[in-house]
Parts: sequence; structure tokens; C-alpha cells
Amino acid sequence: MKIRLRARLLLAFVLVAVPPVAALALLEGTRVSRAYQATAVTRLESALATTRERIERLAARAEARVTTIATLELPAMAGSEGDPALAESLGARHDLAVLEFVDARGLVLSSRHFPAGSGLPDHDGRFPGNDTFRIERAAGGYAVAERLALEASHPALLRHERVTVRGGSFLDGDTIGDLGLAAQASVALYDAVRRRWTAPPDSPLASWSPGDLDAVSAGETLLAGRPYRWAASPLCPSLFAVAAVPRSDLDRVLGAVRRDTLAISALALLFALAAATFVSQRLARPIHDVATGAERVAGGDLAASVPVATSDEIGDLARAFNAMTGELRVSRARLIQAERVAAWREMARRLAHELKNPIFPIQVSLDTLRRALERDPQGFATLFRETSATILEELATLRRIVDDFSDFARMPQPLLAATDLNAVVERALALHRDRAGPVTIATSLAPGLGPLQADRDLLSRALGNLVANAIEAMPGGGTLRVRTRAEPEAQVVEVQDTGPGLSEEQRTRLFTPYYTTKKGGTGLGLAIVQGIVSDHGGRIEVRSEPGAGTVFAVTLPAAK
Amino acid sequence: MRRAPFALAALALVAPGWAALGPRYGGDLTVAAVGPLPRLATATPDSAAGRLLTSLTQASLVGLGLDGLPVPALARSWTSAAGGREWILALDEEARFHDEVKVTAADAVRSLQTFLARASPSARALAARLAADGVAAPDSGHVVLRLREPFAAPLAPLAGAWITGLAGAEAGPFIPTYEAPGSRVALTAFASHVRGRPYFDRVAVVASADEEHLRAGLATRESDVALNAPGVSALAGTLLLVLDPRQPVLADREARAAIVSALDVDAIVKRFLPGGVATRSLLPLAVAPSSGPAAPSTRPVSGVLALAVSSEVPALVSQRVVAHLDALGLHVTVRVLDPAAARCSDAAGRLIVFVPEVPEPTLTLRELALLAPQVAGAEEALAEAEREASGQQRRAALEKAAAALLQDKTLVPLAAVPLSAGVRPGIEGVRIDAGGRVVLEDAWAVP
Repeated sequence: MKIRLRARLLLAFVLVAVPPVAALALLEGTRVSRAYQATAVTRLESALATTRERIERLAARAEARVTTIATLELPAMAGSEGDPALAESLGARHDLAVLEFVDARGLVLSSRHFPAGSGLPDHDGRFPGNDTFRIERAAGGYAVAERLALEASHPALLRHERVTVRGGSFLDGDTIGDLGLAAQASVALYDAVRRRWTAPPDSPLASWSPGDLDAVSAGETLLAGRPYRWAASPLCPSLFAVAAVPRSDLDRVLGAVRRDTLAISALALLFALAAATFVSQRLARPIHDVATGAERVAGGDLAASVPVATSDEIGDLARAFNAMTGELRVSRARLIQAERVAAWREMARRLAHELKNPIFPIQVSLDTLRRALERDPQGFATLFRETSATILEELATLRRIVDDFSDFARMPQPLLAATDLNAVVERALALHRDRAGPVTIATSLAPGLGPLQADRDLLSRALGNLVANAIEAMPGGGTLRVRTRAEPEAQVVEVQDTGPGLSEEQRTRLFTPYYTTKKGGTGLGLAIVQGIVSDHGGRIEVRSEPGAGTVFAVTLPAAK
Repeated sequence: MRRAPFALAALALVAPGWAALGPRYGGDLTVAAVGPLPRLATATPDSAAGRLLTSLTQASLVGLGLDGLPVPALARSWTSAAGGREWILALDEEARFHDEVKVTAADAVRSLQTFLARASPSARALAARLAADGVAAPDSGHVVLRLREPFAAPLAPLAGAWITGLAGAEAGPFIPTYEAPGSRVALTAFASHVRGRPYFDRVAVVASADEEHLRAGLATRESDVALNAPGVSALAGTLLLVLDPRQPVLADREARAAIVSALDVDAIVKRFLPGGVATRSLLPLAVAPSSGPAAPSTRPVSGVLALAVSSEVPALVSQRVVAHLDALGLHVTVRVLDPAAARCSDAAGRLIVFVPEVPEPTLTLRELALLAPQVAGAEEALAEAEREASGQQRRAALEKAAAALLQDKTLVPLAAVPLSAGVRPGIEGVRIDAGGRVVLEDAWAVP
């Protein structure tokens, strides 16, 4: 495949410009990704630390208030029997959403968070080996809800009965919803025993089913169809604080880097294209001009020259080209002059040679007549008759020579018309049949050849020359075969003799004007044949071996 | 300044005196109820607001007294003939519709025929026993009921049949003048009411967002009466748990029995239903025998139980019931619905405050039987109770019918529930009738 210089230059510029930009983008993407990973870890650690701090504060608060209720409030309340609203009033006073009193049998005496459970056994859910976190049954509209609570407990005496005071706060979406705000992370608590989340309503963690958080405490996962990085920290056995940050932040930054890289690459590409176009124009146009000039020179236009726009190597090339074409023009002028002189010389030589042959007999005849007149006046009449016949014969030869030269010089342009090749062959043979003598004429004309666009007279003359040459080549007799045939988009006529054939040297010079192997020939017959065939857009070929006869094949284009 | 204490003391002495002077005409009364109000045209006795609106605007031929016996309303009196198979009711000549058109027997017959075409329990009970030409109007002042055979309390179903005029006018003590669907109904006193003009000139029934707003409105005098708030009350409702045996988790009678025995009804009533009375009977307290606690059951029941809870049930009661069912091993999911929707919900369990359409024992049992269809032996026992007219046998037949309904453990009565209305000081005469309706036609404001 031919790749032009301009395309190669463009490709080279692009290959030079784009890889560095792509490499830069890759490097920046990697750096951003690493920076995000580090930031994500920091955010997750911060969110988990905040959660632990909040829970520790809530635990300390619950401890202090429950201790106050158990040691100060309840002893002072002796006497008020069976007050179901006791937990409500004390809980409201100490801002404890969770507060209940449980007797020694495990029955709830009074409950703030689940008044309907008063008198029922305390069936709250526990975490193994931990009393701080519980799953409390609590009022939930018309139903019973199970809610994660953080509690402190303290023994106390209530109306002389041993009770356990248990109070604290619920850990629900509202409590923990803001824990991750500072770190821009989602925070939730996971109860691994019940496989249940305590999370804000819109938390992506709420729909996740994590594996064994004791074994794996960080990783990446899909939450609500989006990638997140997460970390978990145990609050107690089977209860974990879990924080998650979306990978979409990184994706967003990486996306921005990719977009910027693409934009810069596109700009670099455009710049490279513009630069390549500019440079290639500067570089390729003079070369293209030289190439065009060379094509013109090859086509014979030696006047072609290229502009010299620069003083660099390209300019040197253009100058050298112009110098070369100048030299060529001078050389061709000289050559033409030399050829012309040579042609005139050849013409003069041929003319002198041709004219010399008949002039010499005429001169001898006239000298003979003059001497006869002086020596033998009586026999002059007889000699005059004989000698004048020779002179007339030579003069006829002179006339024929002059006619041949005249014909060759004045070869007319063919007048093309629909012509039947077979008919032309028949006509040419008819003109020469009488002069065939001992030569046998055989024809093989292909039927239905169709018309040719040809000048009937010129074509007949050319074929007549070939037929005449063939007859003359077989003075002792032989066979003249004339064949016609159709070829794709052409018609062919072959004239074959069984004469002595041609040598290699003869075959090479056969169509050269004034070249002849015949005594008395002008050497213009085959040149005229070739001119006629050429004027018809055809070609003539010759096949011959010494002693094997000669075949002339004329191929003419079929009419379209 | 020195006179001020004396003036206040005098006012304190005089204020009770105004009340002692008796009812006064005039003034406006605002009644608040939680939730969207039912539409006037389709109000039913399933909710407190529905019962109030029908009692304000509608009138029937007879009413029912606290003893379950008929009392005059649009019909002034009645007599029976043909051995109890024919009842002739004489219309009150003063009875008028809201458009001041006189109430005629033809109006009553047409209204009764409309009533009999309904699917209400009392309509079905009456229709089942009427002869072919069961309702007739021999003249403009008398309505005749003809029965195929005599049965107990034949006039009780009429207490649920509203009589309306040809033009659609009603005959209750108040005339509706404006309705903002769901939020407000304004009514004005009907001067020609058959029992006389109500004392208040106008009554407005308004919707309140929730119970807190309801009570706050009463405290700030934005409303004068608050439905379902503590105040005047009557034990007219029954806290009822309906278990659907068609649900897989309740298909086994033993499972239903375990649920019945798991409910600590006494504790529920004592702690969370002030004014309520624990009961294991489907009959009104006046009729029901005393009943002991259900036999304890240790059978665990597991599965998921969908429970539809009427919004009239106190939330704490619902929570406690759920806690008991949880303890039994059931996972209970709760859906709170308005009273009418909860009553006809297809949930496995329904916790509702049942208020009969007509507070007559036989009709009440009929209505309850509709909540627990296909209880074996219940229909026969009910038919026998309806045939018995004499006191002792009738009571025994009613108890037998109630026992038959209870035996299937589909209907679980928990407590007789007080239906109440909070009334602000200065409003007198507000009462709640045997049907749980807040009666305002005798209410008046102390000046």
C-alpha cells in the first residue's frame, strides 16, 4: 500500500504527541486512586472513632443517670405503691428514653419505653457476654417494636423490694444518622446474631448482608448497586459499628481526570495534526512539485519547471530539477537538429542511390547513341530504337521512384467508415491475382466478422502491398495464404508466404523507410503499410524464420 | 381592688346556679373526632363519628332503651295482634321531615323496604321473618308489620332503619347544612323534630389530626365535645379479637384456644382500659353471666399472624395483645385501620371495638355470627333464642347461642369497653346511649 509522505508525517506527529499524554493520564489516575484509598481509610477510621466516642458518651451518661435514680430517687419514693407511670416520670425527668424496673422474678414492674409490657417477663434480647447493648421491646404504634438500646443497670430497692433499674437510650437511625456526617460516610450498627441492621432509613448499608465481620473487618462491596469501601469495628461480641464510603467519589475524580486527559489528548492531537499539516505542506509540496515536473518531463514536456521557494535542501532539489530540465531541453534541441541532418543525409543518400541506378543506363545509352551516330550512321536507326527503349524504361523507373517518394510524403488521413474486412481482402487479392504467376493463392476468411471502422481504399492499398510483397518473395512459385479471424475487440488478417523467410536483422529493420531487400525496391512499401495500420489504431506484426516463409499479421480494432 | 375577691366569690356561687336553672336554648356546639369524618350520605355505626352523624341527622320508627326494649321515636305507640304475628305502629302526628313535610306511613313503608334490602344484620333478621306482604300502610298514620311467626323483640330491628321522605329529607334532630368531605360537617337545629327542638342552635363536627390535638382542642375550648376522650361514657362496646380459622396459622382450634388462654385479659383491663370490664362473654353485661378466666394453655403457636387493629382500640391495649401473642411464639405484624375497614378486613386476626348496630342481645349475637360464619350449632341456638319470648328461657337460649359462638374460639371477647366523649365544663346533657351514640339533642350550654 502506498502511504504518502503527508500521511506518514501526520502519523509520526500523532505518535509523538499522544503517548506522552496517555502516559501522563495513567500516572495521574494512579496517583488520584492511591490518594483516594488513603483518604477513604482515614474517613472510615474517623467515622468509626466518632461512633465509638458517641457510644462511650451515651454509656457514661446512662451509667450516671441510672445510678442517680437507683441510689437517690427510688429510696425517696417509698410509699407510692404500684405506680405504672413511675418509669415514665423518672425517665422524662432524667431524659432516658429507655427506663424500666425489673423485679427479682424478672417481671417488668414499670417501663417507660414499653408501658404495655408492665407485668410481663423481661424478654429483651441480649448480646453474648455483654450487658450494655440490648434489643429492647418497645412501643411501636399499635405493635411491639424491637429496638437496639444502650443501657446501664443498677440494683436498687423499690418499696423494700429488690429491683434492677435499667436505663439508657435507643440506638436508632436518628441517633447514629449524623455520626458519619463529618467524615462523609454512612454509619450503621450490625447485629450479627439477628443479622439485623440499625441504620438511618436511607442508609445503603441497611440492605447489605455482610459475611463474618470478626474475620474480615474491611473491604469493598456493592451497596444498592454502587461500589463502597467499608470498615467494621466491634462494639461488643456480635455487634459491630460499620462505616462505608462510596467509591463513586473516586470514580467521579477518576472520571474527571479521564475527561481532562481526553480533552488534552484531543487538543494535542489537533495540534499535532495542524503542525503535521503545516510541516508536510512546507515539505511535501516542493517534493510534489518536483514529482509532477518529473511526470511532465517523462510525458515529453521538457518545459516543466518547479518553483524554488526555499533555500534549503528542498530548494536545492528544485533548482537541480530545473537545471536538469534545462539541460534536457538543450540536448533534445541538439538531438532533433542532428536527427534532422541525419535524415536529410539518409534521404540524399537514398535519393542519390535510387536516381543513380536509372541515370547510369541512360547516360551509357546516350553515349552509345552518340558514338554510333559518329561511327555507324547507317546502323544508328536500329541502335536508336533499341537504346531509346532502354532510356524510356529507365525514365519510367525514375518516375516510379518519384511517385513512391511523393506518395510517402503525402500519405492522406484515413476517412473511417463501416468496412467489411473480408471484402477488402477479396478486393486486394483480385488486383494481384493476375500477377500471381506460379504462386497459388489460398484464402480462409472467417464468416460474420462484422464491420470495421476503416478507410476502405487505404486498407486495400496496405493489404495490396503485403500481397504484392508475398508474391514477389516466391518467384519460383509457392502458396500465398490469406486468413481473417475475429479476436476480442479486434479483427485480424494474416498474409503468409512460403518464400525464403527473413533473417533476424532483416526482420528488425523491415519497417524502416527506404530499407529494402529487393532489387529496385524503394523500401517505402512496408513503411506505408505500417503508417496506414497505425492511422487505423491497429498494429502489424511479422513472424518469420529463414527458409520457413513469412507471416504478416495486421490487427485492427473492431467497431464499437 | 378590694371588691374583686367578692366578685369572684359571687361568680363562683352563681355559676352552679345557672346549671340548676335547667336547659337553655341557643348556642353553638363543636364536636371533634380523630381522623377523617365519614361522609354524611354513607355514614355507618362502625365508628364513633359515624354513629354521631347518624344520630344527629336520622330518625327511626322506634329507638332502644338501655334495657334493650323499644322506645317511641317517629312511632308514638304500637300494638300486636294475631298472636304476635302482626304489629301495628301508630306514627306521631307531629313527626316531620327536615323539609317540614309530615312523616306518613307511606314514607315509613318505603324506607323500611329500602332498609330490608340492605345487608345489615338487623335488616336480615327482620326480613327473614316477615310475611310476603310484611310491611304495609293501611292509612297515612299506621304501619303494619306481618310476621310469618312470632319472635322475640320484633321491633328492635326497626331501631336501625332510618325513615326518609320522598325527596330524601331526613327526620333527625339536626339538619345538615354544610359538609367539607372528611373534615367538617355543620348542622342546625331542627325546630320540628318529633321530640322537640334541640337546645343548641348549631352543631359542628370537625376532624382532629390525632388524639393529642383532640385533647388539646378540648382544653383550649376549640371544641366542646371530643369523641373517644375521657368524660361521659357507657359500656357499649366490646373489645373483640376475631381469629380467622381459614388462615393456616389459625386453622387448628387448639391453636386458637392457646391464643385465648394466653391473653391476660384482667391485666389488660386493669392496666390499660380504665373504665372497662373484663369479660369472656359475647352478651351485654346486663345479660351475660359472670365468667372466670380462660383455662391456661401451654401449647406454643408459631407462625406469622397478620393483625388488623381498629384505630378505636387503645394503642397500649394493642401493644399488650401483641406482646402476649409474641410470647406465645407468633410473629405478629400489625396494620392499623379505621374501624369500618378493620371490622371487614381479611387479616388473620382482627382486634376491634365491637359496637352492635342495634344493641339488642339477639341482634347483637346475629351480628357477631356474621364475623364468625359457619360456627357449628350457632345458627340453631340463635334461632331458638329468637323464638323464646319469656325472660328466663330467652336468657338461657341467648347464653347457649353465645356459648356456641365462643366454642369455636373464633370470637374472643376481651372486655366491655366504655365508649366515651370528653365534654368541656359548661356543657350539660351530653350522654351516650346503649348503642354507643353520643346524644346531643338534650345537650345545652350553661350561659
